[in-house]
Amino acid sequence: MSSIKQIPVIQEKRTNPLARVFDDLVSFCRSRSLFLLHYCTGCGAIELPPAMTSRFDMERLGIQPMVSPRQADILLITGYVSIKTLKRVILTYEQMGSPKYVIGICSCTVNGGMYWQSYATAKKLDEYMPVDLYIAGCMPRPEAVIAGLQKLMDRINSGEANSWQDYYRNYDYYLGNQQKLFGETWQTPTDIITEAKHYNLLAEGTLGDHTKLLQQHQEPLEAHNMRLGHNLKEPLE
Amino acid sequence: MSHDIAHWLDDLLAEIEGIKVRRKSNRRVRVDVPADALPALLELLQGRAGYIHLSAISCVDWIDENEFELVYHVWSYDSHSLVSAHIRIAREPGVYLSVYDLYQPAAFFERDIHEMYGIHFEGSPNMEKFILTEWDGPPPMRKEFDSEAYINEHLNWQNYNPEWLQELIAEGGGVIIPPEEQRFSQKKVKKS
Repeated sequence: MSSIKQIPVIQEKRTNPLARVFDDLVSFCRSRSLFLLHYCTGCGAIELPPAMTSRFDMERLGIQPMVSPRQADILLITGYVSIKTLKRVILTYEQMGSPKYVIGICSCTVNGGMYWQSYATAKKLDEYMPVDLYIAGCMPRPEAVIAGLQKLMDRINSGEANSWQDYYRNYDYYLGNQQKLFGETWQTPTDIITEAKHYNLLAEGTLGDHTKLLQQHQEPLEAHNMRLGHNLKEPLE
Repeated sequence: MSHDIAHWLDDLLAEIEGIKVRRKSNRRVRVDVPADALPALLELLQGRAGYIHLSAISCVDWIDENEFELVYHVWSYDSHSLVSAHIRIAREPGVYLSVYDLYQPAAFFERDIHEMYGIHFEGSPNMEKFILTEWDGPPPMRKEFDSEAYINEHLNWQNYNPEWLQELIAEGGGVIIPPEEQRFSQKKVKKS
């Protein structure tokens, strides 16, 4: 089995003079075709069915629900994020392909909301992943959700919504906060540092004390052995 | 008919020693028993009076009295009535007998109480972590666990006070309690 490091990554400098024109076109198209990850953390998720379906109809804006993180553009955090859920949210976020956008819905993602005193709830979502937009409220109405999504569309269109790059540029900061909460042995299957190099986003804040700590105990990633319940080398019965 | 059964139950319970029966309504009885008499009481209720459904076991931490209160709620489908059996056990060492042999759902409740309060149930089939699988702190529902001190130590907090809200407050509207009045830890600082 070849290791992941052996797969070549080709990086080329942009030389096309029309690149900026294409960029504008691409960001326009991107803002009109958003896939929203169907991952609901808290009670704010109850506002999404009316926002998605015929009553308020997000699809007229080009926003559709998507079931898998790898094909989604928007990660919508709908409500409180317990520390157990936060681990899964981070795994999901890291699996999503760039560019990706995070929207924090409800007061709980801002500062814990009514769970401000709870030992089990993370308080500030933007400490663990870059958040593009917060929609405050407990809970925000579907109109507010759609207004927030429209604002995100405008920001994507004008090229401002690039907080996903911040995760690569300041990975050390985000990883430090994650380690503080989950312990020093915290590791995700996604290799963010290699990805940052791939996107040409390696900055001062990418590497630091926390990433050193990660690299000390990081177990190498291995390709998952796909099996159908039993070893395929053995003959099928 | 259910009325008859209810009064028959009162007679039955009156025969057990050290028991205090308080009838809350026609369908609700509160029973206070010594801790060692509870298994016998439950066996009697289940076997003789038809209280076959253990709805819940709840726990109260009376830290000032240095006791845990365990409440066993049993329901009868025949007489449509609920008996809540209250017992008190010592906070230290916080060990009690499992009623798993009488009511199998007890395993579920006992595991939960063990996780949240640290009470050990002898004879319960599984005392492993249940919901808080990634929690290594003290049992969080015990009164001596200070949740606010824990979050002050481990998590940051930010105030949400946008401009539009300040405008509303200036006009006398909006319901807002400033965090220094809301957070108990900061209140204590104020007093001293």
